[in-house]
Amino acid sequence: MQHGFYFDHQLCVKCHACEIACKTWNEVEIGPRWREVVKVETGTYPNVKAMNVSMACMHCGDAPCRNACPVAAISKRAEDGIVLVDENKCIGCGFCTWACPFNAPQLTALAGKMQKCNFCQTPGKTRPLDMPRACEEVCPTGAIKSGSLVELAKLNREKVAAKLGTTGIQGYPSLMVDAHQRFGPDAAE
Amino acid sequence: MTIQEANLADRLAQIKGAKVIKSFCYTCPWQCPTEVYVRDGKVVYHKGNAQSPNNIGSRCAKGMASWYITQDPDRLKYPMLRTNAKGEPGQFKRISWDEAFSFIAGKLTHIANTFGPEAVALTCHHDPNTQFYRHLLGDLYGSPNMYAHTSGCEQDRRAACLTLFGHVFPMHDFANSRYVMLWGMNMLGANQGLWESRALLQAKKNGMKLVVIDPNFTETAQKADEWIPIRPGTDTALALAMCRVIIDENLHDAPFCDAYTEGFAGFREHLRLKDYAPAWAQDITGIDANTIVRLAREFATTKPAMSAIFKGSGYYTNGHDAGRACYILDAITGQVDGPGHLHLKDWAPLGLPVAIPDSAKGKSKNPPLHVAMGYPLAPDLPNSRLPEAVIDGKPYPVKGLWVHSTNPVMSDPNRDRVKEMFRHLELAVACELFMSETALECDIVLPETSFYEHAEIRQGMWLGPEVILCQPAVAPVGESKPSYEIAQGIARKMGWGDYFSYQKWEDWGELMMKDVPMSLDTLKEKGFWAGDINYGRVAKGLPTPSGKIEICSSEYAKHGYNSYPEWRERSVLPDQDYPLQVTHSKLSMHCNIVTQNNPYLMEIVGENWVEINSRDAARYGVQDGQPVWIESPKDKIKIKAKVTEGLVPGCISIRHGHGFGHWAMGSVAKGKGAHSNNLMDTHTNPVTGANCYNECKVRIRPA
Repeated sequence: MQHGFYFDHQLCVKCHACEIACKTWNEVEIGPRWREVVKVETGTYPNVKAMNVSMACMHCGDAPCRNACPVAAISKRAEDGIVLVDENKCIGCGFCTWACPFNAPQLTALAGKMQKCNFCQTPGKTRPLDMPRACEEVCPTGAIKSGSLVELAKLNREKVAAKLGTTGIQGYPSLMVDAHQRFGPDAAE
Repeated sequence: MTIQEANLADRLAQIKGAKVIKSFCYTCPWQCPTEVYVRDGKVVYHKGNAQSPNNIGSRCAKGMASWYITQDPDRLKYPMLRTNAKGEPGQFKRISWDEAFSFIAGKLTHIANTFGPEAVALTCHHDPNTQFYRHLLGDLYGSPNMYAHTSGCEQDRRAACLTLFGHVFPMHDFANSRYVMLWGMNMLGANQGLWESRALLQAKKNGMKLVVIDPNFTETAQKADEWIPIRPGTDTALALAMCRVIIDENLHDAPFCDAYTEGFAGFREHLRLKDYAPAWAQDITGIDANTIVRLAREFATTKPAMSAIFKGSGYYTNGHDAGRACYILDAITGQVDGPGHLHLKDWAPLGLPVAIPDSAKGKSKNPPLHVAMGYPLAPDLPNSRLPEAVIDGKPYPVKGLWVHSTNPVMSDPNRDRVKEMFRHLELAVACELFMSETALECDIVLPETSFYEHAEIRQGMWLGPEVILCQPAVAPVGESKPSYEIAQGIARKMGWGDYFSYQKWEDWGELMMKDVPMSLDTLKEKGFWAGDINYGRVAKGLPTPSGKIEICSSEYAKHGYNSYPEWRERSVLPDQDYPLQVTHSKLSMHCNIVTQNNPYLMEIVGENWVEINSRDAARYGVQDGQPVWIESPKDKIKIKAKVTEGLVPGCISIRHGHGFGHWAMGSVAKGKGAHSNNLMDTHTNPVTGANCYNECKVRIRPA
């Protein structure tokens, strides 16, 4: 069953803890950034808006990086759809970095090999899938979740269902719904 | 987010082949409870303590990267004694601990005999283990000048909170709030009290309205329903105008004001006499009068609501009244210490680690420095005035300075003056992890252990009473020692060894825990103790002179200060030659001056910058991402510019100006970014003694 991440930009404060937790757990050296938080700012003073997004490998269904790799170093694991790179096969050509729309594959200057988010499946430090990923575990506001897409979609569907009959859902992006405003502010009382 | 599964730590430890030690992180002063995973004497992972209500297993970037400090090659390894004359960058030689203790004891004895014990002062950064130095230098030696760093921090609002509520550090019960108004407070950007960040965002999702008053479009403003860009240093005028609207429209809580406040009627009269009104405040603050009226009505009628303030509205000579006025909004609407309000938290019944009988306590002839300097209500040393005491001997001579886990040469305004001060000291001691900029100016530098290598017990910074523990996880770097062993070593040389008789840290730990309803052994196993959150302190009586919330404080009139907050313009205003006002902002992945030698954090942000509104950038020819010169009447710096829409025109915002541009510390930190604290001259808040970092005007040009 395909696994992936769920991300709530309303909760992300761009603290970068997820980046460091990823590096610490997976023992990633300085240089490659398996996860990176970016801020997108729009508008003109004083009407400014900003959104923070924590980005890593999306473990795509039909991964462009895998399709671009000339030596078949990139594979999708059958049981969970996690996209993995075999560093022994990688020749460091960088085609994957051109193919990926999210800048997930990182070429390491020293080794000349690609590395990226492996859903905490680093050999010797593998987190079973029923545990939180390091990025998810560290997040102070709970902005990142991981799981099978079916579970995540269910989570999302419950949240959308909770919104029905309230102030309306049309203003919210499809995946990033306001999760907690159940039946309006007075419903809790 | 819920408490993580109980056996998660065991499973993680199994994967990493590590042992788990419950501890806390002391990268920033909020100090989150943690789990440290150790294998073969090395930290291999760490995370937040999953069971703690404080951070529920989470961390911030600076805490998460902090393990690097256990293996940073730039750490100090031996006690170091200066070998060259003061006035040039220090050269040092390695000495033994015994030599270090003898040297310090000799100097301390000489200073006490010649000038009295008050000629030695201590400054620190709220490290709980500073207590051991306080027992040594304060209790036994007898100096009344045991201070911290607050005048470079939130001194203005701390003094306001003490005046109004008799509480030193209010917490924020965001989770239960329906309306939150934050003044100069970028809590999501600083990202220190993680439970506060989480509670604020969750409450917002539950329908709370968030209003952020700040010249900067901060990380917190970004999440707000409304960002109110205010002209820098004018918060007092806005808050007073809002008070006026609320009282004039009878939206205040009259029974609460009658029962629990002191000076309400006088305050109402004061507002009318001074004619503080929305139209008046519009001209000062740049905020539309209709908006002021609307915000005042919303605040007073949406309950529970909270008006909270932090550093940003301080940093001006008028910053203390901003704090008072902001908290008076809470007071007159009857919203103090209930659910969803400003929370006057209970402190845990934590004892002192060393017991010193009154008969053994040293005495000084002079009062504490802050009183002698003319700042009797200052909650901490007005440290911008310390150079006067050292260089000119006013109000009395200070000859010795003990610096613990702080770096005043970098953090205080008017850097040249601070450096000059160090040259006049007979004994300057730095207890440090690195050869910092301040250590370079000292006579002797003592290498301290990091929080991964020693024990500390302190009050937690959670909503309820909390005790947190840090315990040794790995061996000390080099010959570094914890504060409790350093203080003990000096005490023995001074003949006070009997008072520091502990053999191991657990001995003093037991003493601290004796009134806490948890044993030290259980604390070591769990890492924290948390009590119940209690509300309703106001009705029980507050520790103020009247027992009530003091809108008017008799203490103020007694010392010749204005009884009620009033509008006064700040001291330094931009002019034709220097047309831009300086403001400051922080970074979430760096803390003060302590994180810039960490390559993992420097990879995310490796230098600081100055932000400028696009209109001003166009006017002065500043390009985004290009270096610029910032010139004040006093100094100039070269720094990278970031052109933004999220800043009030007419000012600049220096991001983390005091934490970059290191010329010491370590190989990673050195030479990255620009240190901005020499741009400003010495300005001190007349009541609180706070440093006024934003009292500075500049001009900008491409470099």
